[in-house]
Formats: sequence, C-alpha cells, structure tokens
Amino acid sequence: MTSERQPSDAFWERIEAQLAETDPDIEIERDAFYSQPEWDVFQMRYTSAGGHRLFAWLSVPHGAGPFPALLRMPDYASVHDIIYTPLRERAVVMNATHRGQRKSDGQVRARYPGLLTDGIGSADTYTLFGAYADALRAVDMLNAQHVANVSGPVALTGAGLGASLALATAARRPAVSAVAADTPLALGHTAALEPGLGYPLAELGDYLRANSGSESAVESVLSVIDPVSTAPAVRCPVLMSAGRSDRSVCPLAFADELAKALPDCEFRVYDGGAEGGGHVHAQVRGAWLAERLGLEIS
Amino acid sequence: MATKADLESFVTNVTCPDDFDDFWDEVKADLRKVPLDATCEADPLRSTDSSRVFQATYRSLDGLEIFAWYALPAEGNGPFPAILHLPGYKSEPALRRDWGVKGVAVLSVAVRGKLPSSREFNPGYPGLLTSGVEHRDTYSYKGVISDCMRGVDFLLSRPEIDAERIYCCGSSQGGGLTLITSALRPEIKAGVAGYPFLCCYPESMRMLRSYPYDELSCYQRAYPEKTAQMLGTLRYFDAVNFAPRIKCPMVVGIAMEDEVCPPETSYAAYRLLGGERELWLFPESGHGNAHEYPARERAWLEERIGVGDTQAATT
Repeated sequence: MTSERQPSDAFWERIEAQLAETDPDIEIERDAFYSQPEWDVFQMRYTSAGGHRLFAWLSVPHGAGPFPALLRMPDYASVHDIIYTPLRERAVVMNATHRGQRKSDGQVRARYPGLLTDGIGSADTYTLFGAYADALRAVDMLNAQHVANVSGPVALTGAGLGASLALATAARRPAVSAVAADTPLALGHTAALEPGLGYPLAELGDYLRANSGSESAVESVLSVIDPVSTAPAVRCPVLMSAGRSDRSVCPLAFADELAKALPDCEFRVYDGGAEGGGHVHAQVRGAWLAERLGLEIS
Repeated sequence: MATKADLESFVTNVTCPDDFDDFWDEVKADLRKVPLDATCEADPLRSTDSSRVFQATYRSLDGLEIFAWYALPAEGNGPFPAILHLPGYKSEPALRRDWGVKGVAVLSVAVRGKLPSSREFNPGYPGLLTSGVEHRDTYSYKGVISDCMRGVDFLLSRPEIDAERIYCCGSSQGGGLTLITSALRPEIKAGVAGYPFLCCYPESMRMLRSYPYDELSCYQRAYPEKTAQMLGTLRYFDAVNFAPRIKCPMVVGIAMEDEVCPPETSYAAYRLLGGERELWLFPESGHGNAHEYPARERAWLEERIGVGDTQAATT
C-alpha cells in the first residue's frame, strides 16, 4: 500500500535537501563560567539551511557516559537560555535556538510581535519556516557533536512554538524516543486564524486585519506545518498539556484534535490558560521524561 | 513547597547601606540631566477597535534610547489613567491592548538589554544580572531601574495622561522592578508585584540552582575573590531595601512552589512594605504560572483605578 502524497511532503523534502547540501561546520567550546560542579556547559554553533549560523547551549554530565539526551526546542521568544533542570546531572541537555533568536540572528533578527507573520505573503519568504529546518538540524547536531557520548533515548521537549517544533521533528526523525509537548502552538491550523485571540496568535489576526482578503492565502501558506496533519507520523510516546481557557497559544479545540491525531499521546488538560498546567504539569513532565530517558526519579 | 510558617520565619541578612538614599538621589539627579527626547509613532498594524498602539522611545541614563509599547484607549482624548508595565528578565515587553476598552493607557517598557532597546547595551541572557556587578556605578541595574523611572517621566510628559493616576505592575523581574520603581517614584499611586525577583540576593543564590540567580553563583565560583564586592553592590539594588520606602498601596503575589524566585525572599520584601499592603499566596503554583493571578491582578488594578464595571476585551 502506498500512502497518498501530501502537499507538506514537498515542503519537508525541500528542507531536507537544503540541510543535506549545507555543511554544518559545527563548533563547540566549553563555557567555564556557566559550567557547574556536576556538569559542563558548552556553547555550540552550527550552520542550518540557508546558511544561518545557529547557537545552542549544551550541558554534559561529568563522567564517561554514555548518556541519554534531552533536547529543548526554542520557545516563541528572543531568548532561549540555559534553563535549569535536575536532569542535567544525568543526561545530556541541549537548548537549541532557531534563526532570528538571540545569538542566531546574523542574517535575520526576529521581532516580537512580528516574527509570526514575517514574510507570510508567500511560502518562499515566510521566515518561520526556517525554524522547522533549524529544529531538524538541532537533533542532527546533537548526534554529531563530539564532546558527549550520547547513546540511548533522545527525548524532545518544548512549550508553545517549541512544542510544535518538537512534534514536527519527531515526525521526521524516528530516532526520537519521546516528546513532552506543552501547549503546542496552533500555527498552521485554522484555529490560529480565529478572531479575538491573544498574542502570539493575535499576530495573525493583526495581519489579516491589515491585509483584508488574505485569509485563504495565509491558511494555504501555513497548512504545511499544521501539527494535526503531521501528528500521525509521530510514532514515539507524547505527553501533551493544554489549558482549558487558552486563547493565545493552544486553543483547547485544536489541542483536542491534535491529541487524537497523535498515535500514542497522554493528554492532560488543566484549568487556566497558556501556562498549560504550570507547576503541577512541570512535576508530571519531569517524572515522565526521566522515565522515558531511563533515569531514576529523585 | 514553602509554607506560610517558612515565609514568616525567614530572616534575610541583607542590610541597607548608609548612603542608599544618597546614591539613588544622585542617580535621579543624573537622570534629570538627560533630555527625555520622547518619540511616539502610531502602529496601525497593532491597533484595534479598542486600542491605539504606538511605538514609543525615550532617552534614559547614559543617553540610551529605550523602546516601549504605548497603548491608548481608542475612544476619547483623555486624560487617561495609566499603567506602567515592567518586563520580566528574559521575556519580551508585553503589548497590552486589553486595557483600552477600560479607558486605561499602558506603557510597556523594554528596559536596556532587551530587544529593541539593546543597540547600545546588550549583555545578553544569561549575562545581564552580572554585568558590571563589580561596582554600584557600573552595575547594569542602575540603568535598568533608571529606564523604569524614565517610563514614569514619559507618562508625565504626555498631555493625554492623568498624572494623578499612574499605576505600576509586572511579574518576576517586572515584580521586583515594580517594587523598586514605586519606591523611587512617588507619582505611582499603587502597584502589583507578582513573583518578585531581585529580592534577598545572597539567600536566593543559596536556596536555588535555577537561572537567573544562578548567574550570580557562577560569578561567585569564577571570581571568589570578588564575591564580597558583588554582594556589596547588590545591596543597592535589592528590593528589600526599597520596600520600606514604598508608601503607596502594594500587592505582592507569591507562588509557594516558585522555583525561580524563592517565596521566602518575596515575602521578606512584602513584610517590609512601608504603605498599605496586600499579600496573595498561590499554593501548588510555580514561578509565573498561578492560574488565578492574571484575573486577580486585573481586578485589583481595575478597582484601584476605578474602572471595574465594563467587560474587558480578550486582546
């Protein structure tokens, strides 16, 4: 049986081809200032599709390894810093950025609000598509780096845009063994175009208000990254959270649809908005990730 | 999880320098010498039926240009009450259009180091918290706090703003800056400080391993010989030393599971507040994520401002 070719297939094939033809030119340097008694911190730099030079933080536990790995995908914000997690003591943790974020802004500097609609008039100019290439590149660079012995499970995590990037990446990289996706950004789904949403999705509303009659064109451009369409290809276990009253990142109707489309999804819905369960879910996520990474829960 | 007893039994070792007020009087005097040079450009893309949005800039300490989102009610010419909204450590300044429907203006400041106020000063995140910490006159937060004070000057310079009705709020770093700015600028009539950062630096460094406070611990490990000097500088920038100087009504919101700003340290600032005060405790909540907080902050400010009767818009 052959599966029907989707419009998004050409999008992903183009990204994979661009990545394949780009020398990653990976550079890794230990950061003595931010290294800790239990783990070393490294600054990584590598090149992604289109020649964008990207930055990532990498932490490596002391000891020979091998270690499981956790890759935190970037949020929708200019800063993606060295977020603390106790998992750093026992797993390699990478915090990757996408083009436009701080330290990855040599060619394009993201604006907030602004990035969500930058170049959205055409699929050829939409800046944020590059973030999906950068997310794939991040997983590949985690495997390619030489300072840590990574072997065993590789889990992805992220919130908002980072959650959507994590799911899209897991769909393209079967070696990913688990995804913890907090309130995935509805970008690409029609729910993102509803009126009356808060930022960041409200950026789309701003654009549509200023460019009347462009809704179907915007919908068409974004459709290739609809998380619901990509979801069936995510074969690993997924932990997903959403907030019942979220009207800015992951509206509940979208989250419901996405959870149903994911083959193996544990879906948790909490009171509140885009914080998606906040502290309570953070505890659930930490334990879930530790188990998937084969680490003891302390 | 912290308990109320933990909060009450906590005692900070932070003391106030004898020349604390002199230092900040000098900063304010230096700031007055800098022309405000305010600009205000309409942003039709971000404006809505209820809110006219502007991209504002003004000059602050050392002549740096500071950016801010300035949202005015779409209806009327004022004078409007105004909220000075102060930013978190690494987050973007919030574009708050939701107050327009209430007839309230909001100035949301991108303090130095933040995009797009980073052209002349950009230590990064991590980086800001230790930038220039060797001395009170070189410390980044001397400028950051000045940028917040200058936000008040911007509002006072606007004919559409009611100078008698300026309020302040923010969360995390924005909470700490709300406390500090309210102490330094008596024009602020009331404030809400959520999950306040910048409280009890030495204890916060010891109690947590998370950033941003861990930046200070990294500095301590890298330069042990300069630790005393660093802690000496931080006394001039610790919100607990500003708290007794706050005379306006102030709320402090604390998440009891806060893993970024220890609840005990926020409470230490609350306990020292010099005016009418109110405490909100959020059990089973972490940093910045108490479900009830946004609605509670809004309701409290609406009541203080006197605009609590009409329905708010979503955006």
